[in-house]
Order: sequence, then structure tokens, then C-alpha cells
Amino acid sequence: MKVSRRDLLIGSAGATAGLLLTPVPWKLLGDVSIWTQNFPWIPQPVHGPVETKYSVCTLCDGGCGIRVRMAANCPVGVAGVSSHPLTKGALCPLAFAAHQLNWHPRRLREVRHAGRAASWAEAQAAFEKACVEGPIAIVDGRPGRAVSSVFEAFTRKHNGSYRVVLSAESQALAPYAAWSGVPVTSLGYDLENARTVVSFGAPVLDGWGTPGRFTRLWSERAAGAADPQLRLIQIEPSLSRTAARAWRWVPVREGSEAELAAGVARVLLEEHLVTPQGPMPQLSLAEAAAQAGLTTEAIRNLARTMVENRPVVVIAADGNPAIAALNVLLGAVAAPGGIVRKRRRVQSHIPADPVPGRLRAVLVDSTVPWEFAAPTDAEVFRFAAWDGGGNGAGWLLPAPGFLEELTDVPTSPTSALETYAVALNLAVPPTEVQSAAQFLLQIDPTLPTGEKVIHAHCEEIFRARQGTVYGEHPIAVTKLDSAQHLEEQLRKGAVWMGDPQSAGKFRCELKEWPMENCVSHASSWARAWAPPVFPPLATKLYQESNLREPPAGRQA
Amino acid sequence: MSARYGMVIDLDRCAGCGACMVACAAENNVPPASPRATPRTGLTPMLVRKVSNGMEGTARREAFIPITCMHCGNETPCVSVCPQQAVEVDKSTGIVMQMPQRCLGCRYCMAACPYHARYFNWWDPAWPVGMEKSLNPEVAVRMRGVVEKCNLCHARLHSAKEKAAAAGRKEIDHADYIPACVEACPTGAILFGDLSDESDPVFSAAHFPNAFRLLARLGTEPNVYYKSEQAWVRALAERDTERATEGKHV
Repeated sequence: MKVSRRDLLIGSAGATAGLLLTPVPWKLLGDVSIWTQNFPWIPQPVHGPVETKYSVCTLCDGGCGIRVRMAANCPVGVAGVSSHPLTKGALCPLAFAAHQLNWHPRRLREVRHAGRAASWAEAQAAFEKACVEGPIAIVDGRPGRAVSSVFEAFTRKHNGSYRVVLSAESQALAPYAAWSGVPVTSLGYDLENARTVVSFGAPVLDGWGTPGRFTRLWSERAAGAADPQLRLIQIEPSLSRTAARAWRWVPVREGSEAELAAGVARVLLEEHLVTPQGPMPQLSLAEAAAQAGLTTEAIRNLARTMVENRPVVVIAADGNPAIAALNVLLGAVAAPGGIVRKRRRVQSHIPADPVPGRLRAVLVDSTVPWEFAAPTDAEVFRFAAWDGGGNGAGWLLPAPGFLEELTDVPTSPTSALETYAVALNLAVPPTEVQSAAQFLLQIDPTLPTGEKVIHAHCEEIFRARQGTVYGEHPIAVTKLDSAQHLEEQLRKGAVWMGDPQSAGKFRCELKEWPMENCVSHASSWARAWAPPVFPPLATKLYQESNLREPPAGRQA
Repeated sequence: MSARYGMVIDLDRCAGCGACMVACAAENNVPPASPRATPRTGLTPMLVRKVSNGMEGTARREAFIPITCMHCGNETPCVSVCPQQAVEVDKSTGIVMQMPQRCLGCRYCMAACPYHARYFNWWDPAWPVGMEKSLNPEVAVRMRGVVEKCNLCHARLHSAKEKAAAAGRKEIDHADYIPACVEACPTGAILFGDLSDESDPVFSAAHFPNAFRLLARLGTEPNVYYKSEQAWVRALAERDTERATEGKHV
């Protein structure tokens, strides 16, 4: 039989059509799909025993409780802890990817000196030499920790000075400290008892203080209600995330917050809305209104609304004394729902800015914000887990990253009650790291170790027999049988919280109305985040969506 | 076990922090953005969009709308167009499942989805060196060239089922199955549960007078509800979702 070209074509078409009726092509297609899902270069999760541990986030001074899922001894997930007395399970968005930070490309993996690789021994020898040659200073970003005691002990023994860099939230409390003599670390906001919160640019719903504390309060008492139990008034030039969710938004002209505060104070005093507790501002209401870009009636309404639903507390984004003075006028200092004293015995600290002159060396702890630059010619020993770039420090020393160090977590700057927790070292550092305290202990082994200070602090709390330990179930300290038991609970992720102190034990006196030209800067969402880098998944928030603006100066 | 899992998202409680987005990505091993990724080409199974009432100055109001797969319960658009049967509705849970192993990457489902809740994987999943150790071992990493979307943290449902089976129970404990976004929301704006169970809080929340569904007129019966007291936010529900969520509406 002769096969024509036509027969060949018909045969081919028939075979193709027939093949499509068999499962072969579909099976092939499916197999190819599965095969292409399993290329060897696609990263695979590490498998191993999965367990859950509880700890405290140490990436800022908020002290949020975290639940860490571990697989093969590596943290693979972070979530909030609903039994935490302050955060009640809430966390900032970045914390959910914090476990990825330890492998960030900008992780500091070696000791560097003047931009070149060096060794720990060289760094130690250089610091020892500096200690012999002249006075040194140690700068701490979070005073009150066990390692802070190591720093203080070292500076006392080696002719040095201990300095602190306060967070923006602590700086906002500085005016009350100056007026009352109570150390700034001993003050806090009693937000749980406030019924009106007036925020001058503080991002109270966007990472301010202990992220989650105010957010939870707002959610429970204010969200969506036309007449909420908790009124949030946001005074800010632009419609920020907090302003968008506030009960009232007052769009003030940028940089005129102090003038608006003076205008409000004048109305409060002139209309006898408050018991006179302070001097009358010199600025007239019309002047204040003109400078703030508001009408006089708007300022009058604001002042009346503020006192309508008491207790009221005013929160500033920074240490603007004119804004702080409003709390004095409103009687919100040392009063429930206002500025309260959370601790009786606490020492005050000397700020790091300015660093005293004629220093031989400055050691900067990893908790100090990357942007901090010691204004001195001294040799700088900078501890950091991540390299933020552009830092002229002489020595860059790799410090433990997220959950890589056993450390204690003292009270958050904005908290109204004293708290204490311990963060465990759950992760293994990918490189050789040392904390600043370990570094100093190698130079002077006679110093008390951080662990010893934690034991001592637990003893102290146990002896005082007050407060409650919030773990799986709350337990009063009086029901614990020993300090060791207390410490065991804290090492399992529990947090101790003190009992409410009786307010009214301090006074703020204003001789004249403060009108310093101190501009309040609304905090950006990145400001509260201490590390100089973001977890790479933060890109979801600004690069892969339009939800937020890119964080200035931070790399994901 | 037969359930109809769904959510009710209270838009008056959403502060737009984005915790749900990050928690979702971390839980489901979604890779960080490629340097070339944009909001159009990103991979965000949970995406919070900012919307406004279109006014300026003091009259301007803004809200945040978390958009995820709506898990449509009727004529699910993505299911009917998939040539590979890579999408199917799990009748026992109401979850619209995506099977990346079957997906050819034709993106018909993306075109069919009226909510723009599906994302194409444009790049090989990549993490900085060593970071793969931080991946969730319960979720497989998906390859470039497939479509991804929310599956209501199906791995967590599996874990809950395993736990129930180990305890000799047939039904899961609802406390054991909470999607990552629900768990992460700091304001408790996302309520999750069984929409077919009248005793479940999510059932009553879905029947709240101010509860609504996006593009309800399409009749796809989404299992994700929203709730808001603000009329202008509710008015967005029936408008062109894409234009509205980009803030271009009036």
C-alpha cells in the first residue's frame, strides 16, 4: 500500500487526537509540575522536633511577651502571649518576623577596626590600654538591666562614667522629672485609668511605648464607638495612622505644638475649667491660634473637650515642656489616669549627650540606637548585632542578636507599673559574638556577672513579697516558696508585675509657663524599632504594598 | 467534620499596622520581596489597603481594609476557570484550596478573581544565606511560576486535626485552629470561626446589621465578611474594588 502525504498527515492528526484522549499527556504535565516544584536550589525548611518557648522581645524597650516556636532548636515563628499583663498578646508588625533577623545580610560577623577585620583579642587589648591611659565612658541604651549593673561597676572601678541614651518615650517624661526631682525611669503613664488621651504627635496606635498596650486599650474601649469610653484626641499636622483612628483629629501647623498647648492652657485657666495649678502663658489665645493654624474657637473646643471626660492625660512625642505643662495644669500629675510614679527606689542617670570631654575611650552598648554618635574624639568601641552603615566607630564588635543572649528586661519606659522579666538565649549565634558585659568581664573578672545580678534582683522581689507573676496562670509572689521558684518562672517566660503604687507622692511645680522653641516631631513607624535593620519580610508593608512609607535609614 | 470557616473583619478596629501581613508571610514561608517586586508583582496573601472617603483637609477620613482570599462559597470563580484542577473547594471546611503542585501558572484564576486576592510567584523564592533555618517546617516553599493565595493557614488546620486525633477526638478544638493573621491582629479586628455554627461568635458577627461582603452583588457568597459603622466605608463594598482600594474613588 502506498502511503501518500495526505495519509501521513491524517495519521499524525489522528494520533495526536488519540493521545489527548489517553491519560499520558496529563500525567506528564502533572509530573512536570511536581518536578518543577522541587528544584534542588529551592530552600527547604529545616525539620526537627517542634516545641514552644516563652520569652520577652528585646528589640526595643517595650518588653513585649513572645511565644517562640522552635524547630530543631531554631526559632521559626514568633507570636504574642495573651497572658502578658501589658500587651495581652499584641505585638508590633515587625516582631512577627524578628526570628529572621539573625541571618540578615547586614549581620555583623567579625570584629572590625577602622573598617578592617580584627580579632577579639586585639579589641580587648585596645580597650584595656585605653582604661589604663585615661578616663572612659560606657553608654547604655536601656538602663536598669543586669548588664547595666556590670557597666556601672566597671566604670566605678576604672575611673569611668556611666551614661544613658533615653528613648523618645522616656525623653517625653523628662520635664516631669526636672520639675519634681523624681527620676525619669520612675515615671509612667497610667493609661488604663485614663478616659481621655490627648496625644501631641505621639504614634500611640503605631508602636509607641509597649506596642500593643495602648492598642489593646483602644480596641477594647474606643474602636468604632461614636462616644467611646476612652477618647483619643490626636494633635498632628497630617492624617497619620493614629490620627485616622482617633476619636478627634486636630490638624495643627507643624512645629506649633507648644503654641497650641499654651493656647489650650490659657482657655483652661480663663474659663476656670481647671483648678489653677500653674502660671498663665504669656501667649494670647489669638496669637496661639494664628501660629497653630487653627481658629480660637477650635482651641476653646479642644480645651473644653479635654476636661469633659476625666481623667485626662496628655502625651507628647518628645520632651516638649509646654506640652508636659498641660498635664500639670490638668492635675494629671501623680493622679490616677495621668503621670504616675511606678517605683520608689530608683537612681537617676546622666544622659550621654553631652559625653564629657577629654575621654580616652567610649564603649557603646548594642542597645544604644545606631544613630547615636558620641560627640567626642575618644576611641569608640561600638557593640552591635547589625551594621547600620555609615558609622565612624573605631571598633565594631559583633553583639548577640535576637534571642541569642540571656538578659533581663526591666520596666518599659511608659508603663505605669514596675515589671521584670528574663529573656532566654534560645538561638545559637551564626558567628562568634560577645555582649558588652561579657567583654568587660573578660577584662575584669571580679565584676558581678549578669546572671548573679538577675539572681539578686529575684531575691529582692521575693523578699519584698509584693506583685504578681504572670505566667500560664497568675501567681502572687506571696504564694511562691522561694526566690529560685520566682526565677524559674521568669526563665519560663513569665513576667513579674508590681502592685500599684499610691499616687500623689510627688509634685511638679511650674514657676512660669515654659515656651521653649522645642519642635515636636511626629514619630515615624520605624523610630521605635531599635535595630538599624528591618526583617526582610517588612518589605510586605511598603515595597509589595502601599500600606506604609519606606522606612528612612533602615534596610530590610 | 463539616464546617464553613470564615472571617468577620471589623474595619473600625483595624489600625492598619500590617501585623497580619507580616505574620501571614512568616507562617506560610512567603519569601521577602525581590528587589524588582512592586505592589503589582508582590506576594501578599493578606494585603491591607488604605482607603479614604476622597475628601481633603479635616474632612478626610481613612480606613484600612485587609483583603485576602474571600473563600467564595458559590460558583467560586477561580475553581471553574482552572484547567489543571489546582483549585478546589474543600466541602468539609469551605476553604478554597490552592495546590501549587498542579498549578501551571496560566493565571486564569487571577483574571477570574474579582477581589484581586491571588498572586503570581514571579521569582524563585529566596532568603538571605542561612535564613532558611527560620522557615516554618510545616509549610512547603512554593516554586516560581505558580499562583498563591490565602488558604486560611491550612497547615494549622492539619496540626489541629492531628492533635484531635492524638487525643481520640473526631472534632478539632477551635482554639487549636486560628490562622496567623487572626492571632497577630493587635486590636482583635479579625474574628475567625465556623460560619455555619450558630453558637460561634463569628456567626452572630456576620449577621450584624452593619456587616457586609465585598461585591456581594456578584453572588459568589464570600466567607469573609466586613463590618463598619461608617457609611462611607460600607459604600465601598459594592464599588469597583480596585479603584476604591487605590483611593481613587470619590
